[in-house]
Amino acid sequence: MNIRASLSRKKLIGLTAVLIAGSMTLAEIPANAADPGVSATEIVLGMQLPETGAASPGYNKVDDAMRAYFDYVNSKGGIGGKKIRLEVKDDTYKAGLTISTASSLINKEKVFAFIGSIGTQTHISVIKDINRRKIPDVFVNSGFSDFYNPATYPTTFAALGTYVTEAKIMGKYLKEKYPDKKIGILYQSDDFGRNALEGFAKAGLTFEAKKTSADFIAGTQGSVGLASQLTQLKANGVEIVIIAAVSSATAVTLLTASALGYKPDKWAVISVGSDATTFQTIAGSKGIPASMSAAMLTGLISASHAPAPGDSADEYVTAFKKINDDFNKGADKRWDNNVMQGMNIGYMATGALKGTLNPNSTFSAKNNKTCQANAKKATLTRVCFIDYIETNGSKIESAAFTALQYSATTHEAFSGFWIGAYDAATVLQPVSGTRVVYTTDSGNGPVTVSNYKRPAIAADALPKN
Amino acid sequence: MFKRIQTGNLIKTFIFFAVIFYLGKVSDPYNQGQLSVVLMYFIGILSITFLTGLSGQISLGQGALMAVGGYTCALGILNLGLNYWQSIIFSVLASLVAGWILGITAARLSGPYLAGTTLVIALAIPSLANRFESVFGGDVGLNVEFGAPPQWFVNLIGEIGFEQWQLFATLPFASIALFFALNLFKSRTGRSWRAVRDHEIAASLAGINVQRMKIFTFVVASGFAGLAGAMYGLRGIVGPSVYPISLSLTLLTGAVLGGLRSIGGAFIGAVLVVFLPDLIESLSGTWEIALQIGNYLPAMVSSILLILTVVLNPAGIAGGLHHHKSRHK
Repeated sequence: MNIRASLSRKKLIGLTAVLIAGSMTLAEIPANAADPGVSATEIVLGMQLPETGAASPGYNKVDDAMRAYFDYVNSKGGIGGKKIRLEVKDDTYKAGLTISTASSLINKEKVFAFIGSIGTQTHISVIKDINRRKIPDVFVNSGFSDFYNPATYPTTFAALGTYVTEAKIMGKYLKEKYPDKKIGILYQSDDFGRNALEGFAKAGLTFEAKKTSADFIAGTQGSVGLASQLTQLKANGVEIVIIAAVSSATAVTLLTASALGYKPDKWAVISVGSDATTFQTIAGSKGIPASMSAAMLTGLISASHAPAPGDSADEYVTAFKKINDDFNKGADKRWDNNVMQGMNIGYMATGALKGTLNPNSTFSAKNNKTCQANAKKATLTRVCFIDYIETNGSKIESAAFTALQYSATTHEAFSGFWIGAYDAATVLQPVSGTRVVYTTDSGNGPVTVSNYKRPAIAADALPKN
Repeated sequence: MFKRIQTGNLIKTFIFFAVIFYLGKVSDPYNQGQLSVVLMYFIGILSITFLTGLSGQISLGQGALMAVGGYTCALGILNLGLNYWQSIIFSVLASLVAGWILGITAARLSGPYLAGTTLVIALAIPSLANRFESVFGGDVGLNVEFGAPPQWFVNLIGEIGFEQWQLFATLPFASIALFFALNLFKSRTGRSWRAVRDHEIAASLAGINVQRMKIFTFVVASGFAGLAGAMYGLRGIVGPSVYPISLSLTLLTGAVLGGLRSIGGAFIGAVLVVFLPDLIESLSGTWEIALQIGNYLPAMVSSILLILTVVLNPAGIAGGLHHHKSRHK
C-alpha cells in the first residue's frame, strides 16, 4: 500500500532533529591509539609504488630489495629487539588509487611510517593527508623539490637528490662539453618533468616548445604520440636528446627512435629513468636481443648520486649485492639500480630507526629530553623518529657520495651527482675516467666539486647509528 | 517533477541516514573511508540507474560526468574561494549543463551508438586536463580535500577522525540524492522514463515527448554523477587518473551486479565494488597469493560475477531478491 501525504516543513525539521539526536547517542567515538605500527616485537612500515601497470618495470623491484635488507636486519636480531615488517600497496601509478592505498596502509595495516614511496604525481595526492596525520613519510623516491620544504611538509624526507639539482649538474656538463650541439628534451608533463626543466634552465639550457622540446603525458609511454614528438625533434636537428621520464618511458623512447631511424649524437637521461636492466628487459620483451639493446645503451649519458650497480670495486655495492643474493625473495632479484636504491633505503631507514632508539643520540633542543628518555625505554615514537632524521641527517649513513642534507630548513636528500656514460657492458662509467662528484642546491647556487668523504660500510653491513 | 513528498520515502531516507551515521560511529577509520566511497559510488550508480535502468539509455561515460563535477568543485574552491559545500552545489549545476549538452546529442542516438559516444566522452574529458594544463593542473591535477571538520561540528559531536569527517560530510548529500531518487521513481517523470524505455512509440502516442524526456534523463543523471564526482575529488585530488575510463566501467559493473532498475540495487552494487577488493585481498593474504596475481583478482572476480549476473540473473541482486519475495507472498 502506498502512503502519500504532504509533509509540512515543521514535521520535516522535527524528524531531522530526532534522527540526528538519536544517531548521536548511538555510540561513542573511539580515541586514536598513539603511534600505531610499533609493538614490543615489531615495527610496521608502509610503502606504495607501481607494482603493476605501465610505469612499473624496474620500480617494482625496489620494495623487494628493501624487504630483503630488512629481512637481513631481522636475521641479526632486528632493531632494539623489534623486527621490521614492510607492507606494500600497488597504486599502479594512478593518483586516484594512491588515496585508497594510503588509507589502507594508515588505517588497516596501521603503519608506523611511510617509507620509500615511489612516484611524484601519485605522492602529491596523499602527501598533505600523511603530513596532517603527522605520520613520518621518509625516504620518498621522488626528486620533486616542492615535497621537501619542512614548513609545508614537516614529516616528508627525500631519498633522492632533487630533479632540479640533478638537472643543474647534468645541464652544466652538457653545455660545457657540447657547446656547439643542438640540445633538446623529451619530458613527461608532470612535476617531475617540469622540475627537471627548471634545473636545466638554471644551468642555462632552455628549450623551445615544438622545436627542441617535446612532452608526453606520464603513463602514456608507448602511445603513437611519442613517434611524432621524436620526429619533431629529428626534423629540428636536435643532436643531443635529454630524457626526463621514468625508466619504462626511456626504453620506449629509445626503441621508438631506433625504429624511426633517429640517431642523435647522444642521449642523456635523468637518473631515475636510466636503469639498464629495466631497459634491456623491456627491449627483450619486444624481441630485441641483449647484445643489441646493450649497443643501444652504450654511450648514453646519465647521472648518479650513488655508485653504479656495476661498480664491483665499491664496498657498498659488494655488501648490498650479497644481501640481495641471500635474502631477496622477489620475482626478479637481478642486481640493478632499482635493487641498489631499495637496499640503500633499507640501510638508511635502519640507521634512522637505530639512532632514534639509541639513548646516546642527540635530538633537537625541544625534544631532546623526551626522545632520550623514550630511547632508554626502547619506546619508538613518530615525533622522535622525525626529529632524529631532521637533526642527524648527516649522521645517517648511506651509499651515496654526498651526505644527507636534512635540517630544519630542508628535507632534500643528496646534493651531489656524478656524470657517467654507459659502456658496452651496460655499466655506468665516469665520463672523465675518474669519478667527480658535483654538488649544488635546488636554488641558484653554483655547481661545485664535492669534497665529501663517504664513511666506510661496517663488516656486517649494518649502520652504526 | 513530483508534486508531493511521500512520507514513506522520507522515513526510508531517515533510516538510511541513521544506519550509515551509526556505522560511521562504530566502524574503524579504514571502513569509514570505504563507506564514504560507497556513498559516492552509490550516487554515481544512481545516475546509471536513471539513465539505463529507468530510461533505457546506455552510458559508458558517467566517469567523465563525475570529472565535470570534480573539476568544477576544485576550480570553485581554488579559484573562486568557495567552501566545498558551495562548490559542490556549483559543480552539480555545471554537470546539469554538461548533461543537457550531452543529452541533446544522446537523444538522437541509441544502443551501441550511444554507448560508443559516451565512451569517447569518458576518454576525452579527462584528457582535456592535459590540453588546458594551466587551468586543470594537467596530469597531476588539482589538490582539494574535505579538510578538517569545522569547529561547530566538533563541538556538537566531539573529536572525529579524518575518514569519519569525510563520511559525515558525504552522508547528507547521499541522503538528499536517495530521497530525490525515491520520489523520482514513483513520480510521473519516473513513469514517463519507464514508458520511453519499454516502448518509445507507445510512449509517444501516450503524449510523452520522447526526445525531451531522454534529454531530461541525461540532465538529471549528470547532476547525480557531478555530485558524486565532486565528492570523489574531495578525497584528496582531482585529476585525470582519478576519473579514468575504468571508473565508468566500475560504476556500470556495480549497477548491473546490484540491479539496474532499483535504488536498493544501486546501493548493493556500490557496496560490492568497494568492498569486494578488500574481501579478495584478505583471502589472497590467507592463501599467500603473489601480489602480481592478487592485484588482478578483484577485476577478474567482478568480471566473472558480471557475466554470471547477465546470464543467470539479469535483474541483479536487488531484482533477484524482489523476485524471491514476490514468489513467497
